[in-house]
Amino acid sequence: MSDLKNASKYYWHYFKRYWFGFAMTAILIGISTACIVIAPTYLGRAVSELTTYLQHWSNVATRSSANLGTFHKTLLVYLGLYLGDAGTLFIASMILARITAYSTGTMRVGLFRKMQRMQVQYFDSHSDGDILARYTSDLDNIFNALNQALIEIFLSVAQFIGLLIVMFNQNTTMAWVTMASTPVALIIAAVVMKKAGVAVNHQQDDIGRLNGYINEQVTAQKVIITNGLQKDSVKGFLKHNQKVRESAMSGQIWSGVLNPLMQGMSLLNTAIVIFFGSWFALNGTLSTGAALALVVVFVNYAQQYYQPIMSLTSLYGMIQLAITGARRVDEVRNQPDEVEPADSKKLSGIKNELQIDDVHFSYLPGKEILHGVSISVHKGEMVALVGPTGSGKTTVMNLLNRFYDVDSGSITIDGMDIRDFSLKDLRENVGIVLQDPQLFSGTIADNIRFGDPKANMEQVIDSAKQANIHDFITSLPNGYETFVSDEQSVFSAGQKQLMSIARTILTNPQLLILDEATSNVDTVTEANIQAAMDRVIQGRTSFVIAHRLKTILNADKIVVLKDGSIIEQGNHEALLAEDGFYAGLYRNQMVTD
Amino acid sequence: MKVLMPYIKRYRKDAYIAIVSVIALVFATLWQPRLLQVIMNAILKGDKNVIFQQGIILIILAVIGIIAGVVNTIYSAHVALGVATDLRADLYSKVQTFAYADVEKFSASNLVVRMTNDINQVQQIVMAGFQQISRIPLLFIGAFILAMVTMPQQWWVLIAMMAIVLGVSWYSYKKMSNYFAKTQQYIEDVNTVARENLMGIRVVKSFVQEPHEISKFSKASDRLTKVTAKIGYNFAILMPAFFLTANIAVVIAIYIVGQNVTVHPTYLAAITSFISYLMQILFAVINGGFLMIMASRANISLGRIDEVMETDPSMTYVKGDSKPVAGDIEFDHVTFTYPGDDSPTLEDVSFTVKAGEMIGIVGATGSGKTTLAQLIARLYDPDEGVIKVGGTDVKQLSEESLRETVAYVLQRSTLFSGTISANLRQVKSDATTSQMQWAANIAQASEFIERLPLTYDAPVEERSSNFSGGQKQRLSITRGIIAKPKILILDDATSALDAQSEKLVQEALDKDLTETTTVVIAEKISSILRADRILVLDNGRIVGNGNHKELVDSNSVYQKIYLTQKAREEGMS
Repeated sequence: MSDLKNASKYYWHYFKRYWFGFAMTAILIGISTACIVIAPTYLGRAVSELTTYLQHWSNVATRSSANLGTFHKTLLVYLGLYLGDAGTLFIASMILARITAYSTGTMRVGLFRKMQRMQVQYFDSHSDGDILARYTSDLDNIFNALNQALIEIFLSVAQFIGLLIVMFNQNTTMAWVTMASTPVALIIAAVVMKKAGVAVNHQQDDIGRLNGYINEQVTAQKVIITNGLQKDSVKGFLKHNQKVRESAMSGQIWSGVLNPLMQGMSLLNTAIVIFFGSWFALNGTLSTGAALALVVVFVNYAQQYYQPIMSLTSLYGMIQLAITGARRVDEVRNQPDEVEPADSKKLSGIKNELQIDDVHFSYLPGKEILHGVSISVHKGEMVALVGPTGSGKTTVMNLLNRFYDVDSGSITIDGMDIRDFSLKDLRENVGIVLQDPQLFSGTIADNIRFGDPKANMEQVIDSAKQANIHDFITSLPNGYETFVSDEQSVFSAGQKQLMSIARTILTNPQLLILDEATSNVDTVTEANIQAAMDRVIQGRTSFVIAHRLKTILNADKIVVLKDGSIIEQGNHEALLAEDGFYAGLYRNQMVTD
Repeated sequence: MKVLMPYIKRYRKDAYIAIVSVIALVFATLWQPRLLQVIMNAILKGDKNVIFQQGIILIILAVIGIIAGVVNTIYSAHVALGVATDLRADLYSKVQTFAYADVEKFSASNLVVRMTNDINQVQQIVMAGFQQISRIPLLFIGAFILAMVTMPQQWWVLIAMMAIVLGVSWYSYKKMSNYFAKTQQYIEDVNTVARENLMGIRVVKSFVQEPHEISKFSKASDRLTKVTAKIGYNFAILMPAFFLTANIAVVIAIYIVGQNVTVHPTYLAAITSFISYLMQILFAVINGGFLMIMASRANISLGRIDEVMETDPSMTYVKGDSKPVAGDIEFDHVTFTYPGDDSPTLEDVSFTVKAGEMIGIVGATGSGKTTLAQLIARLYDPDEGVIKVGGTDVKQLSEESLRETVAYVLQRSTLFSGTISANLRQVKSDATTSQMQWAANIAQASEFIERLPLTYDAPVEERSSNFSGGQKQRLSITRGIIAKPKILILDDATSALDAQSEKLVQEALDKDLTETTTVVIAEKISSILRADRILVLDNGRIVGNGNHKELVDSNSVYQKIYLTQKAREEGMS
């Protein structure tokens, strides 16, 4: 129920700006419905007038006075009503199509905007696939539901109300007869829908497990083949497959049976109306023409009566998906934004030093990762962070750029807390080269000038030269205009990393962070990247996080982290002389004859 | 459709019941207006007996309709799920006969989609087929015939109505298929920007490019919005146009009845049933259109399923008993090119390894190390040359013999969800606890396994997410050696282990698996220092073959790699 409430709030937020469109739609649909429900009465009148005409004509005495004038007029009104229906319905559909397309567009862009403002923590704690599904599957479900359900809901509700009004206007007894089977139909619908909901949930769970199994097995096909496990794999599959068959059977039957049941109810209802209608016509005081008209009109109503109920029940699944979709998109919208200082100070480069002072930090409350880390760096120095996996190296990087904020302690630049600078200011002064060199689709030049889209070609080429990648780029047939897509890239990991270094050089950051920038390449490629990095580091204050020690031997200061605390500090020679953890690490990695 | 028929035939009985019930349903639906006509005539004549009789028949007919609808749903579901389940099972079994190259040709994720989404599409269309599609032509033909019988001289009204409806549908379909293609493209564009920003959120934030990315996304999104709106406008005209056409047809029909009422007075009572039939025809045409769209989508899925079914495994094995052969390896002028590549990944590679030797393979990324190892395990066959294991061409070994001889441990170690023991027993079905302990001891895995509450029965989550990288690799090695293979290939399989554990693993392998040939592929030279011989690969060719000392002295490629990993002399003592 709270889902429904939240969904209403969500849709209200996006729909309220279209209130005029909705009001117009409501009016137009009202008119259209009026036309539809009134039209059968003219049909009845036409039949009745024709009957009268026939009776007059059959009687020799009145034959001369018999004419078809009123019949023709009635038919014209009938046609006019349907013209009105078609016209209004058309305009209403146009308005709703526009609202649907544009409100979904607003939702999509809104979601993306929100994503750009959110804290990195959200992305670290949710899988990419799950977040992306909100664009692909949830917004899609919302669009489909709006596209089909919106107009149906309008139409069905209006049609139902209109039908009731006009039926009771025509003949109260016949109206009650037409409605008599409704409670039975509603009870059937409620029971079937409930059963279907449970069955479909079971079915989805089993299908999820089956898909999980297929996915796990087939993506590990190499292991299956090299171990000769094919038969076992099929055996395991058949178990899941059989389970899906059983649960999907009841899911399919319960969700599929509602429509035929309602159609059957409509058939039954029509039969009842014909039966009672004709009995009522013969035993009443009506003329033959009027009796015939009554039956004609009410048969028409009986056929229409179940339409709204059927439409709404068939939309149930779709509406359910739209509610779930709204919940999932809304979940993202309610995430906290990154924190900006109330009135920010100006940051223009590092003048003296950067100080990390007694920093404590935890990703999850109660699970502290850094226990009082203090590092001080002078302008122009290179500091290396080393330590085993999970020691907290990357966490320090996350704090410097304010992807996360410290729990206690502080990080200061020339004595000012980095939380007092605007995020824009801070990040423009801090450049990062990440372990995974994420490129964006576009040309190589676009990617190099990513941090400054206005940079000219000269700057791009200059950066590429500094990053040792210019020669490679010019060797490509399209040079700097070569298209990059991260999906099916022709570039090696090393080449991509060099491009990402060029990208960072172009923005000329004051503080540089290199986060395991060479861990995905072999040692010879690493040496190439190393050369480029040495040039970049030249004259800048830098933090280098390294897995392989070879890359940081020249650091001014090497900080050894273990389990979130600094255990050793000093330059390479000093640390080797200490013969502690660092020296052991070094001996492990390097080949020593 | 050809793929589908044999499967449907297996459920012949259910299919017949589904079709018979659908005919009953159509009969009930179409006969109702007929009876109405009879009753209307009876009202004109004032004949109560006829009304009572026909009224009872009407109700019975409606009840038949309800029962037929329910029966049809149940048996349609039997057919649909039977077909989907069998088809999926066959598809899965087929994929399990594939050589690795075949899996790569389709890509694993693509195969998964075919076995899940595509099968689902097929299931939906079979269900709809027995519920709806069979009903639509029946309803259409039935309604058409009955309408003609009801008012024979108005045939042209029906034809004109249908012509207009079909014409409008065809026109808008042609116009919209263009928009649909565009929509697909724009959706992909939008998703690409979203995905890239998700994966690169740190890059975007650290370069402060949020506004730029938002405007990029807005542009892509607006294109999509505009085209979906256009499709919406086109759809907006369809329904009103259809109903208007049908109602104009109704008006024309009644007008004609009126003009001729003195000649054919009985037509007066037929008006209502004629309108009913007219509407049935209209609905049949509209639903037919929707089902055509659905069917064309299912047809694409069927084609994709068929493609897998029709693929013959690109590699076959000789039949034979499963007997492990000796651990010698021989490459004789082997050249191999990946399908779709221009240049060979391995070129004219020749070497021999004696049983029990430890061989190291080094080289830069892309030099062909892994390819070489995969050829020993016969994941691929070479284009030229011969690979022999235990003196026999691997192509002449039965699959069972080869798998028993060669164990291949990958860098990206994959364990299957279940338990540790289940993973180990997949390779050696009768493994006892002490055998598992023996293997785990060698792989340096027992220390952490025994600390788990359930030890060897401890669960393995999906993607082995409850184990660290180093633990996963040690478990993979355990699995690799539990059946005491004659040849053990470690493809960068100790990359996440620290040097100390790696050394312990190698020492234990040396001591306990003396007869096993070990092939170690490594980035780190320290991992292969102990090897009897080291093969140096460069651009697919073997450029060095000797022990560490020899290579350091004489091999320039090896020297280059070595230099990047060599400790600085000073301070080391």
